[in-house]
Amino acid sequence: MFSFPEITSSFYMTAAPILILVTGAMITLLQSVSRRLGSRSAIEFVMWVTVLSAIAAAAVIPGEQAEHLAGGLLSGTMSRFAQVMILGITAFVMLIVREHHTGTAFFRGELSSIFLMLLSGMLMMVASDDLVTLFVGLELASIGLYVVIGYLQPNRRSQEGAIKYFILGSVAAAILLFGFALLYASCGTMRLSGIVANLPSVSSHGWARLGALLTLVGLGFKLALVPFHMWAPDAYESAPTAVTAFMATTVKVMILVTTLRLFAGTFSIMAEVWYPALVVLAVLSMIVGNIMALVQTSLKRMLAYSSIAHSGYMAVAVCALSSVGSGLPVRAILFYLLSYVLVSLGAFGVVMALETPDNDQLTIDDLSGLAKKNPWIAFAMTVFMLSFAGMPPTAGFIGKFFVFNAALNNHLYGLVLIGVVGSSISLFYYLRLVVRMYMSEPVAPFGALRVANPGISLTNALLAFSVATTLLLGTALPGVAMERLVRTSADVLAKK
Amino acid sequence: MEFFNSHVLSILTFLPLVVAGAIFLVRGDQFAKIAALAGSILTFFVSLHVWHYFDASSVKVQFVESYVWMPEFGIRAIFGVDGISLLLVMLTTALTPLVILSLWHSHVANLRYFLGSIMALQTGMLGALVALDLVFFYVFWEAMLIPMYFIIGIWGGARRIYATTKFVLYTVVGSLLMLAAAIVLYISYYRQTGMYSTSILDLYNASIEPRVQLWLFGCFALAFAIKVPMWPFHTWLPDAHVEAPTAGSVILAGVLLKMGTYGFLRFAIPMFPVAVKSFAPVLVFLGVVGIIYGALTAWVQKDAKKLVAYSSVSHLGFVVVGSLALLADGTLSQEALTGALYQMINHGVSTGALFFLVGVIYERRHTRMLEDFGGLASVMPWFAVMLIIATLGSVGLPGTGGFVGEFLILLGTFQSSPVTALLAGSGVLLGAIYMLTLCRKILFGPVTHAENKALHDLTPLEFAYLVPLAILVIVMGVFPDFFLGKSKASIEHLAKNYRSYSLAVDAH
Repeated sequence: MFSFPEITSSFYMTAAPILILVTGAMITLLQSVSRRLGSRSAIEFVMWVTVLSAIAAAAVIPGEQAEHLAGGLLSGTMSRFAQVMILGITAFVMLIVREHHTGTAFFRGELSSIFLMLLSGMLMMVASDDLVTLFVGLELASIGLYVVIGYLQPNRRSQEGAIKYFILGSVAAAILLFGFALLYASCGTMRLSGIVANLPSVSSHGWARLGALLTLVGLGFKLALVPFHMWAPDAYESAPTAVTAFMATTVKVMILVTTLRLFAGTFSIMAEVWYPALVVLAVLSMIVGNIMALVQTSLKRMLAYSSIAHSGYMAVAVCALSSVGSGLPVRAILFYLLSYVLVSLGAFGVVMALETPDNDQLTIDDLSGLAKKNPWIAFAMTVFMLSFAGMPPTAGFIGKFFVFNAALNNHLYGLVLIGVVGSSISLFYYLRLVVRMYMSEPVAPFGALRVANPGISLTNALLAFSVATTLLLGTALPGVAMERLVRTSADVLAKK
Repeated sequence: MEFFNSHVLSILTFLPLVVAGAIFLVRGDQFAKIAALAGSILTFFVSLHVWHYFDASSVKVQFVESYVWMPEFGIRAIFGVDGISLLLVMLTTALTPLVILSLWHSHVANLRYFLGSIMALQTGMLGALVALDLVFFYVFWEAMLIPMYFIIGIWGGARRIYATTKFVLYTVVGSLLMLAAAIVLYISYYRQTGMYSTSILDLYNASIEPRVQLWLFGCFALAFAIKVPMWPFHTWLPDAHVEAPTAGSVILAGVLLKMGTYGFLRFAIPMFPVAVKSFAPVLVFLGVVGIIYGALTAWVQKDAKKLVAYSSVSHLGFVVVGSLALLADGTLSQEALTGALYQMINHGVSTGALFFLVGVIYERRHTRMLEDFGGLASVMPWFAVMLIIATLGSVGLPGTGGFVGEFLILLGTFQSSPVTALLAGSGVLLGAIYMLTLCRKILFGPVTHAENKALHDLTPLEFAYLVPLAILVIVMGVFPDFFLGKSKASIEHLAKNYRSYSLAVDAH
């Protein structure tokens, strides 16, 4: 029956980031009992130590694939890539929130503790081969996010957003869990790799098919694919922007990595089941996301719908996974994800740079004439919008190229055509923002915005980092980045 | 010097971008003006070097540089010129200093950003012309839109935002389809040879099923047709021209539109030769419609700039007709192709001059309506001289470059299809009518508006940027061989061998 798995030193190597985060969570929680130890600077110090050492630990996760705890924890390039990325995003958000008005609220003991715990959930999810561990990681991350959304800046709006996200998220989790249960029931194993081994014999089995479909729906919820996207605009808009930035990026990383593990490996043998469903989701996301973004007035809502559309583009590449053994879509997704994360952080960073406590719900019109007031921020936002729109010479273009390439390689002509239409629509609203910033006069008195100091500041430095990487990934570095991603993607490809 | 010789095209391409970067970083309009002018003149000299050392007798691509860019995908950054792109490169580098000069005394807000955008735009244009890799080309092709978007959108007229958004959206829709088609081409090349490559030197050799060729050619042709613009995709052009500032219009008409016709010659025709046979009648038909429609529409315009804009639709129609004159033996007419290339340059020079001249009177009177002028010949004699030279160049009077171009196109087209030549020829006649109407309404007759009596003639600065163009109009008419000599071999190669086209690389 069940034997307790042997614990080796390489297990500790692999689990170190998670263990560090949990330790940090405990410490910050204890700190908050004392006024002196629970001060902002003390909490911030502990958080930085925790996150930085977790990054260091994640960066040295062994590259060769090995499993620990009977598949509960995987080492390998994919785990390392995803963990470093999630922790990197965290560091970015922690830096940019320092100069934001929610900074003090962010570095509170109990909040920091929850934050670190939800991070550990994310790291668990991206490095797991076991359905239960995967689900526990996902729930740990999600529940933490519900709390952080509502609790960072408790007011009616953020609590409403948290509740909405909580209810829809729980439904999604239930569906996902049901899918996992059916997979277990029909394959008799919780292991993804085990499912691969057992599926061929049962792939005609109705329960396995239903399980795969429900899993797809659950992941679709989390990725905010239409028609499971309803929570995203509300949650994005009502969450404090630092949390929005964090959630919009890390959740995508976490879910897409899981999707890759599932669809590139486990489910590739029953593509005919999920493929049509995913095509529908991708098409709807690209069309609905882009059209809805067109009519938004709130900046964060617009970014939310745009992220739905971007999920749609990534779903196109996931569709291309339906043929076994092609590394092309996996690399395309990873590159797209990388550029999406960089640009989203930048765009939300711009939003944070402009927000004030009195005006933390920016509209697109609020940005009117920004180029005159703060040319640097306007320039940075322009680069991000062009990258979102997939214009060269930005990372977004290369990402789109790779996604189209992967899709066309699998003869998905229709999907690419819809992607083209969607991109064209999206250009309209991304450019509208540029029009507001450069070509319109300010409509409101500019006092409504925090026009950050144009000199050297942390915010500006972070934006400069995003701009530079977005441009470099679009010009000089795509070759180098791709070479790394080839090694990363080898991890999740179906083993035959 | 060794380094310069082996990297001359990448230096040519990126020099303007470096200047643009400096302009964006350093405060002050004065610095920006000097840097932009010096940078653009330096770029012109670099291009003269290329012109001088270009071996006209060879059909190979020359000054080739090739860099690894995305090795996993076989995507490279390849630079190179042949006789076809060389002329357009020269047009670009020659026009840009004049455009910068025209802004010397400009009082627009944020002049340095304007100048910086023009320099960045120059990199986009040159890059698109010298790129020999599809993806690398595409990057420049699209990146070119961004500075132009800002030039029209920030420094344009009242409806600038509408115009610039329309311009970008039109172009991008076509371009994205082209991107998809390029990827399909790339994948089918891989399936044939087992090798990833987006170098067009390789892709020329791909043999693609005729049915697929039709689709791919359609996507490429759509992108180029929008850029040209061919009727019925031309509707963005009048808006963009009317709203663009003078400098923007000059670059737009002078170089940007040529990217479309260049695209046909460099990509669509030699890569999809089978489809050319099916599509040529359609494109020629659209071209002829464009010639006549553009001319008739120009005729009834009241706004001088709109008139010139529609005249572009008509003139570019000639270029398209000339590029696709299929002869009975299946080759393209060499005369027509030569004329088409020459007409691209002519149009850049004479229409550039016309937009400058409309800008000159607009600056003085803040109106471009023909009815607000009249009798300027007596008030501004030098302006009248320049306008007449530019007009003659535009209508193709013998002795101007326009004559050579149009004559060659009609000659070649006549061999291909006399009816087409006849219809296209009517465009020449109509062109004379609307352009001379423009001249008459602006220059001749009594001075009907009191404000016009006190207008001062051309300033030295205006002379400085108009005289070179006026000289070019005439020199191009008198010594066409000086210009066409460099392209003769390449054009002959394309016309004769487009069905099994290949470009060899000149090892230097």
